[in-house]
Amino acid sequence: MRAISRSTLPSAAVAAMLLGGTVAVRGQAPPRNPVSEGTRNGQWPSYTGDVRGSRYSPLDQIDARNFNDLEIAWRFKTDSLGTRPEYKLEGTPLMVNGVLYATAGTRRAVVALDPATGELLWVHGEHEGARAANAPRQLSGRGLAYWTDGTEERILYVTPGYRLIALDAKNGVPIPTFGQNGAVDLKREIDQDIDLVNGEIGVQSAPVVAKDVVLVGAAFREGFTPKTHKNNKGYVRGFDVRTGKRLWIFHTIPTPGEFGHDTWLNGSAEENGNTGVWTQITVDEDLGLVYLPVESPTNDFYGGHRPGNNLFGETLVCVDLRTGQRKWHFQLVHHPLWDHDISSAPILADITVDGRPIKAVAQPSKQGFVYVFDRVTGKPVWPIEERPVEKGDVPGEWYSPTQPIPTKPPAYNRNGVLPEYLIDFTPALRAEALELTRKFKFGPIYTPPVASKVDGPIATLTLATASGGTNWPGASYDPETHIVYASACDACLTRLGLVPPPSKDISDMNYVHGFAGQPFRISRGPGENAGADAAPPPAERPGGGGGSAFVFNVQGLPLIRPPYGTISAISLDKGTIVWQVAHGETPDVVRNHPLLKDLKIPRTGQADSVGTLVTRTLVIAGDSQFTTTVDRPRGAMLRAYDKTNGKEVGAVYLPAPQSGSPMTYLLNGKQYIVVAVSGGPYSGEYLAFSLPAESARPGGAAAESR
Amino acid sequence: MNVRAAGLAILGVAAIGGIGSAVRAQEPTRSVWDGVYTEAQAKRGEAVYRQSCASCHGVALEGIETAGPLTGARFTSNWNGVTVGDLLERVRVSMPHDRPGTLSRQQTADVLAYVFSFNRFPAGKVELARQTELLKLIKFEATKPARN
Repeated sequence: MRAISRSTLPSAAVAAMLLGGTVAVRGQAPPRNPVSEGTRNGQWPSYTGDVRGSRYSPLDQIDARNFNDLEIAWRFKTDSLGTRPEYKLEGTPLMVNGVLYATAGTRRAVVALDPATGELLWVHGEHEGARAANAPRQLSGRGLAYWTDGTEERILYVTPGYRLIALDAKNGVPIPTFGQNGAVDLKREIDQDIDLVNGEIGVQSAPVVAKDVVLVGAAFREGFTPKTHKNNKGYVRGFDVRTGKRLWIFHTIPTPGEFGHDTWLNGSAEENGNTGVWTQITVDEDLGLVYLPVESPTNDFYGGHRPGNNLFGETLVCVDLRTGQRKWHFQLVHHPLWDHDISSAPILADITVDGRPIKAVAQPSKQGFVYVFDRVTGKPVWPIEERPVEKGDVPGEWYSPTQPIPTKPPAYNRNGVLPEYLIDFTPALRAEALELTRKFKFGPIYTPPVASKVDGPIATLTLATASGGTNWPGASYDPETHIVYASACDACLTRLGLVPPPSKDISDMNYVHGFAGQPFRISRGPGENAGADAAPPPAERPGGGGGSAFVFNVQGLPLIRPPYGTISAISLDKGTIVWQVAHGETPDVVRNHPLLKDLKIPRTGQADSVGTLVTRTLVIAGDSQFTTTVDRPRGAMLRAYDKTNGKEVGAVYLPAPQSGSPMTYLLNGKQYIVVAVSGGPYSGEYLAFSLPAESARPGGAAAESR
Repeated sequence: MNVRAAGLAILGVAAIGGIGSAVRAQEPTRSVWDGVYTEAQAKRGEAVYRQSCASCHGVALEGIETAGPLTGARFTSNWNGVTVGDLLERVRVSMPHDRPGTLSRQQTADVLAYVFSFNRFPAGKVELARQTELLKLIKFEATKPARN
């Protein structure tokens, strides 16, 4: 039997298909509030497992002894959920009350699957036309949210065109009493005028639902070369989960009279935008507090149009769940110039420091610092010192004389670039790297960007900025041991050079990202409408293709020495790094390079931030890149580490790299791990692993409360 | 020499030999180190690249946060071991990101030639074909194979 329904939304056609009749579900009886109970009962009801940013499950059926026995239980290919296959599947599914829910495909469809078999139960897609085609953040997104009042169950997600959709979890049909026929237009009631079709705003993260409030942030195009500093503003809102009514809005750029407005000098709060919350929001349901990780203001690397500290740019803000009123805030970077968006979910951690229990919030970062605060008061658990930083000389720029540096825990990845970070496999390679970087500026964290000059400095070399450290996949937190497990890119190099845009039509900013002597280009996010602001013909083409001025690697090898990527275990009780391992197989080009064939190079890890999952005994994460080894065909590995010491205790083959963060659940006594894989020529697929009957220890499935 | 014509001529010969089934059964016989494109083709590809690819992947092919690099270890390692046919298909199906399917097969092959040129794979005398099946006979290898 097949049911198809269509809504009468003015700007969108909605189709929901119910496959195979009623979805009578299976497994456990519905707990009172699965979202509040988090993963305790073997479910995974929120994007990060709970709404506290943990990515933790107490399940222990899969452990060090049997991880290598894992087999693929089912696979779900996402190709047909859109007009073309997707190669960047980033979602993490939910599993509640015996149904698995996920976003998938180029349409960002929602699917409900049987978590035992992967069978499709229903699918829902929104056809938004030009509105979606113009959206700054397209593709399948990171996930969705679940809500129940004990009888009704809903699934909520945000479309590429920035509409909040509420579906009946039983059949995927939009809830007619939510918003307008199941949808809230997020471009409305946002305290600024945004064109419904062409206006630049969207979000790819999963909404969060806590205590009947839906929390939604905002994202924009890449902030390297924006067309205008008067970009839209990324306010955060809370909505009533029953009706879709807006409950509150938090102005991440304060309006006149609001706290922090005076941190934008010369009236610049009105003249600048971005400053959204594009990553996951975290909630303490008991305290009724929400933790907002705010990104950079316009633009990422030049702030001459926004003198001042620019609250709440790159600030962790705590607001009231019911009202959105600010309780406290801490700005991680004053007057942001390095694209240090707070990029992942804040983590709620009940820790014990020097015998004193603290309700803490811990924020992993691109910088490689974990910033730890008392989450009630906002006071740092360990001192965060304002230290002097270098003042730059980019014309028109405003510089903060100091930046906050945590005294504990130590940074878990390199931030800043020093000559000793360059490749050092052989003296010749190192010499080549030094020559290649001769005209670049080195320095520690918060070394400012430069106005690019052909004779140097061309740019400031940075690690741990745009794509370094811990990015959107975030970290995991173990509530048993009070340890954060954070993956980090330790070799993601970004060159911070600034050039004036070629014309005011390209950008009205004085400076945007670019390099002197190289053709200017506009940086775009996925899916930006090329017709709207197509790049001009290049004015000059020095060097041409293959010119040495462009190539920024050494004999095809990374410029930065290993490790390229790591996982670190960081104790929040002690403020120390407990262990750190290189994560990911050594890339083929390093393993097979003729110049390195006589060297024994320890595993380098891979230059990416990947999502981790922590269980009762293991930390689990997949490789982020393809490799081919003598033992196995081209592919990647899903790895398990002993969470006490970082020792790799198992690894199973993936046909493509992990591209979304793994999750786990228990169903009918069996533990499953689901992970999104995609990349290269391999289109998006959710893979579910479980143990063969002979490997699963009887009674070993340890959901705590029964 | 008209390299395009030469490419077609080779194609023609292959077609006469019953290319359909034969190709499918074949393993890659050449690699990107064997001079599989021409400099003129790379030049054409550069123009297409600048127009349709550079805004996300950069004029230096280094990528930005949301668009991967098309040069360096990250790129060559990640594609190591696939065929150029796989690479063409991926580009053809999903690129340019905002307007997939708007480049012709010839333009796509030209862009690949430019990417190969940028990554210093050697140019040769015959152009890179635009047919996926033929490109499946060419392997992408990150490092130069040690043969002969």
